Amino acid sequence: MTGDAFLAGVIGVLFAAGVYLMVSRNLIRVLLGFLLVGHGTNLLLLAAGTWGAAPIVGESGGPAGEADPLPQAFVLTSIVITLAVCCFLLAMVFRSYQLTRRAELQTDPEDVLVEAGPGGAE
Amino acid sequence: MTALLPVSVMLPLLGAGLTLVARRAAGVQRVISVLALAVQLVTECAMLIGIDASGPIVMHLGGWAAPVGIALVADRFAAILMVVSTVVTLGVLVYAISQETAGHPGWFGRGSSAPAFHPAMLIMATGVSNAFVAGDLFNLFVSFEILLTASYVLLTVGGTAERMRAGTSYLVVSLLSSLIFLAAIALVYSATGTVNLADLAGRLADLPRGLVSVLQALLLVAFGIKAAVWPMSAWLPDSYPNAPAPVTAVFAGLLTKVGIYAIIRVQTLLFGGQGFVTLLMWAALATMLVGILGAVAQGDIKRMLSFTLVSHIGYLLFGVAIGGHAGLAATVYYVVHHILVQTALFLAAGLIEQLAGTTSVSRLGGLATRAPLLAVLFFIPAMNLGGVPPLSGFLGKIGLFQAGLAAGGALPAVVVAAGTVTSLLTLYAIVRIWGRAFWRPAPQDGDAEEAPDAAPGAGGDGDTAPAANGDAMPAAVPAVGGDGIAAATPRRAAGGGPAPAPVASRVRLPGGMLAATAAVVLVGVALTAAAGPLYGLAGRAADDLGHPARYVTAVLGQP
Amino acid sequence: MTSAFAPAPLVLAAMFAAAVAAPALTARFGRRSLIGLAALPAAVAVWLATLLPGLTGGAEYRSRTAWAPGLSLALDLRLDVLSGVMCLVISVIGAAVLVYSARYFPPDDDGLPKYAGSLVAFAAAMLGLVLADNLILLVIFWELTGILSYLLIAHRVRKRSSRQAASQALMVTTAGGLAMLVGAVLLGVHAGTFSLSAILADPPGGAATAVAVALLLVGGISKSAVVPFHFWLPGAMAAPTPASAYLHAATMVKAGIYLFARLAPAFATLPFWRPGLLVLGGITMLAAGVAALRQRDLKLLLAYGTVSQLGLLTMLTGSGTPDALLAGAAMLIGHATFKGALFFVVGIIDTTTGTRDLSALSGLGRRMPVPAALAGLSALSMAGLPPMIGFPAKEAGYAGLLAAGDAGHWPAVVMTAGSVLTVAYTARFCWGAFASKPGVPPTRPSRASGWLIGPTVLLVAVGLVLGLAPGPLDRLLQPLAALAGGAHPGALALWHGWTWPLAMTAISLTGGLAVYGIQRAVERRRRLAAPGRPAGVGYRALAAGVDVLAARVTAGTQRGSLPVSLGSILVVLVAFPGGVLAASGLQSGRISVSAEPSQAVLTVLIAAFAVAALRARRALGAVLTVGGAGYSVAVLFVLRGAPDLALTQILVETVTLIAAVLVIVRMPPDALATTRSGVPARAVRVTLAVCTGALMTALALIIPGQRRAAPVSDGLGPQALQLGGGHNVVNVILVDVRGWDTFGEISVLVAAAVGVSSLIFLRRPAGVSRPGARPGSGVRAGGPGGAGGATGPRAADPSPWLVTDAVPRRSLLLEVATRLVFHLIVMFSLYVLFVGHDQPGGGFAAGLIAGIALTLRYLAGGRHELAEAAPVDSGIVMGMGLVVAAGTAAAGLVSGAALTSAIWQVDLPVLGQLRFVSSTLFDIGVYLVVVGMVLEVLRSLGSELDRQAGTATAGVPEPVA
Repeated sequence: MTGDAFLAGVIGVLFAAGVYLMVSRNLIRVLLGFLLVGHGTNLLLLAAGTWGAAPIVGESGGPAGEADPLPQAFVLTSIVITLAVCCFLLAMVFRSYQLTRRAELQTDPEDVLVEAGPGGAE
Repeated sequence: MTALLPVSVMLPLLGAGLTLVARRAAGVQRVISVLALAVQLVTECAMLIGIDASGPIVMHLGGWAAPVGIALVADRFAAILMVVSTVVTLGVLVYAISQETAGHPGWFGRGSSAPAFHPAMLIMATGVSNAFVAGDLFNLFVSFEILLTASYVLLTVGGTAERMRAGTSYLVVSLLSSLIFLAAIALVYSATGTVNLADLAGRLADLPRGLVSVLQALLLVAFGIKAAVWPMSAWLPDSYPNAPAPVTAVFAGLLTKVGIYAIIRVQTLLFGGQGFVTLLMWAALATMLVGILGAVAQGDIKRMLSFTLVSHIGYLLFGVAIGGHAGLAATVYYVVHHILVQTALFLAAGLIEQLAGTTSVSRLGGLATRAPLLAVLFFIPAMNLGGVPPLSGFLGKIGLFQAGLAAGGALPAVVVAAGTVTSLLTLYAIVRIWGRAFWRPAPQDGDAEEAPDAAPGAGGDGDTAPAANGDAMPAAVPAVGGDGIAAATPRRAAGGGPAPAPVASRVRLPGGMLAATAAVVLVGVALTAAAGPLYGLAGRAADDLGHPARYVTAVLGQP
Repeated sequence: MTSAFAPAPLVLAAMFAAAVAAPALTARFGRRSLIGLAALPAAVAVWLATLLPGLTGGAEYRSRTAWAPGLSLALDLRLDVLSGVMCLVISVIGAAVLVYSARYFPPDDDGLPKYAGSLVAFAAAMLGLVLADNLILLVIFWELTGILSYLLIAHRVRKRSSRQAASQALMVTTAGGLAMLVGAVLLGVHAGTFSLSAILADPPGGAATAVAVALLLVGGISKSAVVPFHFWLPGAMAAPTPASAYLHAATMVKAGIYLFARLAPAFATLPFWRPGLLVLGGITMLAAGVAALRQRDLKLLLAYGTVSQLGLLTMLTGSGTPDALLAGAAMLIGHATFKGALFFVVGIIDTTTGTRDLSALSGLGRRMPVPAALAGLSALSMAGLPPMIGFPAKEAGYAGLLAAGDAGHWPAVVMTAGSVLTVAYTARFCWGAFASKPGVPPTRPSRASGWLIGPTVLLVAVGLVLGLAPGPLDRLLQPLAALAGGAHPGALALWHGWTWPLAMTAISLTGGLAVYGIQRAVERRRRLAAPGRPAGVGYRALAAGVDVLAARVTAGTQRGSLPVSLGSILVVLVAFPGGVLAASGLQSGRISVSAEPSQAVLTVLIAAFAVAALRARRALGAVLTVGGAGYSVAVLFVLRGAPDLALTQILVETVTLIAAVLVIVRMPPDALATTRSGVPARAVRVTLAVCTGALMTALALIIPGQRRAAPVSDGLGPQALQLGGGHNVVNVILVDVRGWDTFGEISVLVAAAVGVSSLIFLRRPAGVSRPGARPGSGVRAGGPGGAGGATGPRAADPSPWLVTDAVPRRSLLLEVATRLVFHLIVMFSLYVLFVGHDQPGGGFAAGLIAGIALTLRYLAGGRHELAEAAPVDSGIVMGMGLVVAAGTAAAGLVSGAALTSAIWQVDLPVLGQLRFVSSTLFDIGVYLVVVGMVLEVLRSLGSELDRQAGTATAGVPEPVA
């Protein structure tokens, strides 16, 4: 097996762009970033197996030229999980928007309090 | 016997399906949930006994022999954790049901017209138990996803602003860790061509050391986030405390421990306890100290507990780093202790919230006289967490220190020293909270001599005065109070400030909640009473972990 | 000889049991139950008394009980002279204190249950401490006494001062206890055994041992309030007086002394032992003596006196000579008797007069002669004068120190100086408590209960008897001295002749009276000495420091901001695995440039989409761009020989897109905007992103080239056909080989779907409970009412084009069309479901196709149309799906292993002849789950949001279903 230059490159780009979007207070950006990184990981999974003809017995030209089916199964699972999480994240985005009227995440108030100073000794 | 393996994982899932079908009938849901978990517990106990007698058991699912198919593997360590986690989950479930029936609509999803609590809880149980028996890296990933997705739902149930904020940061961090884990799996497969743990153990040995270290590092990062190892722990104290009490309790008990389990599993099975030992020690040290300093700085009981949770993850990490029979045995015992004590404490915190409407220390007081039973139920696990003898926290600590000092070398000694400091500061934080919340007269009724329910056992009787619920409950549920952020900010307002009425109110604690908490506390105490056999079991579990060959042969047969 | 001692563990157990029962008893029977509880320690005392004769020969009793061998923790108890003496002190005084307490407290004291339980438990723990023959067991009881002392000191829990004193005492002693714990573990690990007697019999050498013993000593001096840990003891006087008498005079503070005496025979030769303990003890004795002279509170005066005496005991046990050890033991007994008695007297004064301030008391000597007499005798003992035990003990002490030769001279001098102070504050105590003071109105005490006098008499009597006839005690203690080499017989005696010790006693007496006289004179001229600044300033400063440090560290590490949390994780990711990769020196082995240009083109296209997503300003645009990336990934899948992936990816992408659009159109167009983060923050984000991407590229380039072994999937095809009964290997893997993963997947789907609905089906603004409208039912209930609400005036947002039940948007043609298509698509989905095993397809794809059919109905006709299309509760669909899948697996279990395939030939009317594999049943479960999931999401993000938008504008509350 060999590393595929183009594939590796696009994986990097997907991770970079996705991470950049994820490290944000805006939940929609976070969601988009997650989707991009998700694509990146799926391609990484795919790159973990040889590629070739579709692994369908009898239709592919025999096991030799077939793509490795196992990573494909992994990717399928991961795609579906991504879908599920994505739907939930969407619901969260809307819910927080509904409550705060903004798509941005706020800082934890308790930590702000701690920064304000210690709570004396007993 | 072997068949019990998939059964014990499938039971809660089946239960989840049924609770969905019966999602209109709350009563039926409760019965199903309790039944599913109870039966699961029985099967797991049976497995534990069997495994302890005759070694690891393996189930090749679909009859596809490993490494192609998925193998479920349970050795002593996995079996112990399954039993303990189900005990905890069951206790929390009873607690939650009792709280729910005591009239807490907004708490966990009754407020939503699509009640999600029971299905989510059961699905999480599925994920947790599956994670412990997954003999396959990708299946481990899937189990993580199961329990995480369910935990997202549980954490945000009720959908208040506070929980949405907490839930979002929790969810996003978890997503990142999952993606890292998945990427690590992809790389593991491309390097070895397998994801079966037993198979990996063999194949990794043939690879260049540097490559193995890279894979190991990736996995450690992925699991380290889940286990809340500093500096990847900031997400935990910001998210856990905002969930409903029972949810926080079960999270605190189980989720981080799944991460620790994964770390232990891969360190011992895949990497033979080698690699990054020093790094792990430093991480343990930092996690202990930063965590406990965070706890000292908190003015809210739930948050304080969340920080102690992080800091004591450091103990576990230390045990893993020491490795060897002594280190692993101590770790196994400490994991069990930590699961039980953290859950018990958060359940007690939930009782405080139920009684006083807040867990913010500045607004609490006089609880010891108002609810003596609650006081006991908080004091025992609190002292246990502080490592006060002869409770399990102390015994686990002894085990870790013995292992650490026996290992020799300067760094372990330093970490042991840090461990003692952590232990002392834990006690410091706890004693301060205790003194203020339980002994100091309540801010409202300055002269607490005439505090309500001064009669002993007032907190004890579980009958819920419905009239009291009417006025006390809304206050007792800050989460439902609309904008959680607004509700959260005045938390540490000075005691003199306009604290809510409930501090003086006469809310009686539901018997089920008390019973469940007491049960978890007692199991924790039992760890001391039965320290001999239990530590023996932990020792045998550590022995399994120390000899990965047993695991491998159990899965792949004799080479 | 063990038989007589065999019941020891049971005795301890009984006492702990009594402690657990005590609160209930006290709550039930009130304070008089304490007298009943006193019977227990009394019985223990008698039992021990019967054992003592056996010890004189230097013999000892042992009892072994296993506890946790894995931790080398055993319930090993050992009774020798030292522990025997301690046990007697503990049990006798314990009984006395319990009796005394029965009248000391007011009948309505609500702290009594806690007090009773803690005190009895303390007695048990203290007995365990001195009996323990296992280092860890010793530490266990040691720390227990600390916790119980915490509970006892904080008796008046409502007083901030007593809470603080309690926690201060706990923290100090626990700090010492932890040092001791480490010391004990270190010693045990080093010696290879945790048995105390074994270690003492054959003490290990080496630096580790020295460190361990030093740590043990730290524990000892912290417990025995030796400088620099002395300050907690005066603070602990917040405890009720009987508790103070018991813990902080007679027993607990002696634990350290006990430890020194226990270890001295084996370790007194260590270089730091003698200097350390002698110096610290000396400083403590002198400093506390001076402080005692300044006190006005009688109880505090005694407390500082105790600290001073503990300093003396530390010197005696620290010097380690046989005579000094013997004297120390005698002194320990003496101090327990006279200090206990004096505390009792103070308690009597306090309860009968309501004050302990010696400047407010006057003429009590005449008004309460009995307590005065008892106090007088005890005072003699404290001053080291005959006929009390204090005299021979102190004499022996001088002798013992001098026995060390030249090294013993200066300690003897220090002890003399300390004794001078002792005499002085003793005199001050007597004067302060009982003298008639000019200008102070005579105090009128109420009558003291006999229950308070009795125990006092007992202690004084013991002191007197031992003082008059020290012989038996001497014989009893000789074996202890023998451990360290043996003392002269008769070290304890009333008369040794004209010796140095006698001279020193004389000096201390005269000097002490002189000092007292001078101080009185000074005080007469000026006002009474103010009791200097309260002890423990250092501790409070330390605590404050810890708090500040904690706040600082936490403020620094816990920013409470999601980007920071993510950022720190990414830093670790880049630094740790990235660093390891860089260090590993791995070379990217064989790198191939994509064989097919089409693949290259697609990768570039995907990258372009990704970058474009960064530039997008509008949420909708960004979503579509990311969708574009998804679709191109799907195409890439086709080229890489993964048709199943491509199919699923396209369907998933579509569903995701629709769901995202459903949400986004309800948010303002600038939803994607973020508050501009500063340039540095942006720079950090960019660097992190680039580094992460670079790391992943590097990994993707290097790792695949490293594979040595063939993948496990080799040759899976034939097996898939033969065992799994399917041509499509991927599908066989999904539903059969790795069906367990699929199990997980569908649970994830269900969880997520449930979560979505639980978030959306909430009344705004927040989760206020509204039983009733549930998904499905909610929609149907929406019928008239919902439409009514919906046809009301529209709001600005949600943007109208998607609010499908807005009348103008409804197009009959579209609806009819979709209705026709709908059934075809559903049929097609079923076909995909059943052929999935051999062709691309399967449960997921099929379910998603059906889901998209439903989506079409919704988009065309709105939520009512959706309700007509699927008049079932999506929850039931998902639930059934789970049950079917689980059922298939369970059925498989019966036939051997879970998820095994059975194969049948089936003729289906429409789809023709199909080979029907049991795992297809499993796939049906998957199908149901996916359909239910899509339906639930549609009803939440679609219908329910429409309804909310409608009702929100129309303002009419939804009718409850």
